[in-house]
Amino acid sequence: MSNVPLIEISNISKYFAKVIANQEVSFQIHKGEVLCLLGENGAGKSTIMKVLYGLYKADEGQILVNGEEKEINSPKDAIALGIAMIQQHFSLVQAHTVTENIILGNVHGRFNIQTYNKIVADLSARYGFEIEPTAVVKELPVGVQQKVEILKALYQNTQLLIMDEPTAVLTPQESESLMKFVKQNTQEGKAVVFITHKLREVMEVADHIVVMRNGRVVGDLRKDKTNELELSRLMIGKEITNRTYIEDPHFNQQPVALELQNISVRDPKEDMYRIKEINFQVRKGEILGIAGVSGNGQNFLCDAISGYQKLDTGKILLNGVDISDQNARERIQKGISYVPSDRQRYGLILSMKLEENMLLKSSFEDKWVNRGLIDYNKLEAYTNDKIREYDVKATGPDSLAGSLSGGNQQKVILAREVDIGSEVIIFDQPTRGLDLGAIDHIQRIILEEKKKGKAIVLISTELSEIFGLSDRIAVMYKGEFVGVYKNHELDTQKIGLLMAGYTAEGGKTDVQ
Amino acid sequence: MSSKFRDLLVTNILAVVAGLVVSGLLLLFLGKNPLEAMGTLFGSLFRDGYTVADIFVKATPLMFTALAFGFTFKANLFNIGAQGQFYLGAVTAVGFSLLMEGRLPGGLALVLIAALTILAGGLWGGLIGWLKARFNANEFLVSMMSTYVALNMMNYALRTFLMETKAEYPQTNPLDTSVWLPIFIPRTRLHIGFILAVLACVGIWVLLYKTPFGFRVRAVGNNKDAAEMAGISSKQIYIAAFFISGALAALGGFSEVNGVQHMLVQNFNPGVGSAGIGIAILANGDPIGIIFASILFGALQVGGNIMGQLSGIPSSIIDLMLGFVMVFVILSYYVREVWEDRREKARLKKAVNL
Repeated sequence: MSNVPLIEISNISKYFAKVIANQEVSFQIHKGEVLCLLGENGAGKSTIMKVLYGLYKADEGQILVNGEEKEINSPKDAIALGIAMIQQHFSLVQAHTVTENIILGNVHGRFNIQTYNKIVADLSARYGFEIEPTAVVKELPVGVQQKVEILKALYQNTQLLIMDEPTAVLTPQESESLMKFVKQNTQEGKAVVFITHKLREVMEVADHIVVMRNGRVVGDLRKDKTNELELSRLMIGKEITNRTYIEDPHFNQQPVALELQNISVRDPKEDMYRIKEINFQVRKGEILGIAGVSGNGQNFLCDAISGYQKLDTGKILLNGVDISDQNARERIQKGISYVPSDRQRYGLILSMKLEENMLLKSSFEDKWVNRGLIDYNKLEAYTNDKIREYDVKATGPDSLAGSLSGGNQQKVILAREVDIGSEVIIFDQPTRGLDLGAIDHIQRIILEEKKKGKAIVLISTELSEIFGLSDRIAVMYKGEFVGVYKNHELDTQKIGLLMAGYTAEGGKTDVQ
Repeated sequence: MSSKFRDLLVTNILAVVAGLVVSGLLLLFLGKNPLEAMGTLFGSLFRDGYTVADIFVKATPLMFTALAFGFTFKANLFNIGAQGQFYLGAVTAVGFSLLMEGRLPGGLALVLIAALTILAGGLWGGLIGWLKARFNANEFLVSMMSTYVALNMMNYALRTFLMETKAEYPQTNPLDTSVWLPIFIPRTRLHIGFILAVLACVGIWVLLYKTPFGFRVRAVGNNKDAAEMAGISSKQIYIAAFFISGALAALGGFSEVNGVQHMLVQNFNPGVGSAGIGIAILANGDPIGIIFASILFGALQVGGNIMGQLSGIPSSIIDLMLGFVMVFVILSYYVREVWEDRREKARLKKAVNL
């Protein structure tokens, strides 16, 4: 390995209109190595790579290629520097043949397609890809389409190949052959960046691992000097709470409030299950914690309970009554509330006032209406009370929700949902991205609601939070429950292994 | 908030001025003095009561079509078809007026005609909303194309069952004075359609900002995902918003036919739909702002017409001038978006670097 890195990313920051996507990100990519960019969804992995590929322009920082600072303003610049990126969604012309796709943009004037068919066939054979150059792309399976993308990069004599979640669309066998290719490619002195949130893949393929979290680099390690546990801790974050679980001896004596029977949601486009055959019960006054790395179907589960997502199979019962056919509005009226993980998109209307956000879920109810008009005096007084009760830092009920900090926005959602959720409250990542004070406050609210006898579903990727609050803990992996345990039945290490797709004993689970 | 409002004022004033300046430059090519022409334009507006009242007469249909665009705009929908809905309303109004005149007392007939116009325009608009809700059709294109359907339906009606008894021109018989909208300032053309339009603006403002339904319309417009999550059906909102929008534009047709034209002539008021879009954007979709923006456009129309008559400038210059103002007003909307975006980013950077 030479001392001058192939690519050096130095202090890159990227802001979108309302979020920080990358903040002072720095790391190096060397020739002949596989670098895994590891992190949860939304950690900023794809963003930093899109900056490198010229799709986004960095707001601060530099990119050095072979030690020289370069301006990369478009993918064209990146390709000229030997950088190629395979997006999650492929950029192939579906109606064209493999060869046509590969030479697209690289040939000019008159040319003989036969010559290029031969070149592509040779290239494909060299890497053992077995791709017919004259095949039309739309008739190829997804795994092969990905290989066409890779061939396209190889054809352009790429020095650095960036792959964004390449295994998300592949079968296990296809994944394996992809890994083989990645290793072969780096033996030739080229570099590969592998963006993923799957620990298992990282351990299999990486030489060098950069862990990202909330837009920052939180770990830069060699694979042989680390292990799954350390990585999962880095990825999930440091222990955000030292709250210890207080055993509730009565939690399993109360009547069942929420029951899910065999719930499945399919994604017809991707031909896969988002959640599969989920069964559980939550009793009144019980907190069921659902642990899992984000992106394993938690959102779909929450949406299914709240009525936002249609079920393909299964039933949902509330206090013994089947509510599977009721829509979101009816379920809200029945007392099911939901604190979504993407609070700015699903929980609030940022361009509206706080009082209007408090009204959002109860605009159909009579209590806020006086002779056909919204009773703004009452609503304002109510919002003011909630601002005080939940200690929301805002100038008043007419502040725009978008002007508040993340923690205060979450408190507003909580204030609303706690009032609506007379029976069941779903908390999806209620403390993600918040500071310690806000986290503590929100966790106390969750415990208070438990005391009031509400059934609570708590989804979190923060294990310390799950362990600190839940009476029972379920682990979700690839849309399925891999186990439901009483708190303290398993330690954090074992739950962590389950979350990463291993059995509690360290072997691989059969969930694929 | 205040910086947003400042942007709105600054960009709109700049847009109107830019429109006047560019059309003024075109006057130079005609060998006319633009300053003189503009002087005539604004000076002549207040020469007599009839002219002043005419500003409000011209503003009336604009308020309706601007409301039609502005209302759906609040639900983040684009109703580009107000022109067609306006024509549909005009056909409905003239048809029922001819049917009812002399058979029913004037007042009762007018109320019935208005109600039927609302229904016709509402169903026409509601269909666009339904197509959007049911098939996720692009409401922009559907509403735009629906204008041509409505236009040709009007032309068909004017050459067949609504055609004048003389059967000479594609136009209707004049309406009986009993179904004319009463004029409330004597010796002017200012009819109660203007009051109806102002009431419609105020009513839509109340509906949007004071009622639960209007709240839901705005909620869907501002963040459809969060609204859906809150149990608000965006599909129902799409249909309802387009129903109301279509009904408003159709009322504009009613007020023109029964208030000003007193008959239906082929291709009358061809720019009322597009001017409505400009006005709504000038007013940032706010119903009260639409009242004032419509009056401004009405004044430009009236003043432009007089300018044409007095200074021998071809009257097409006036349409050109309004067109330029509108183009700049619409551009200013995007300028504001860019400014807002830049401000958000700066705020974020500042917060990070503290």
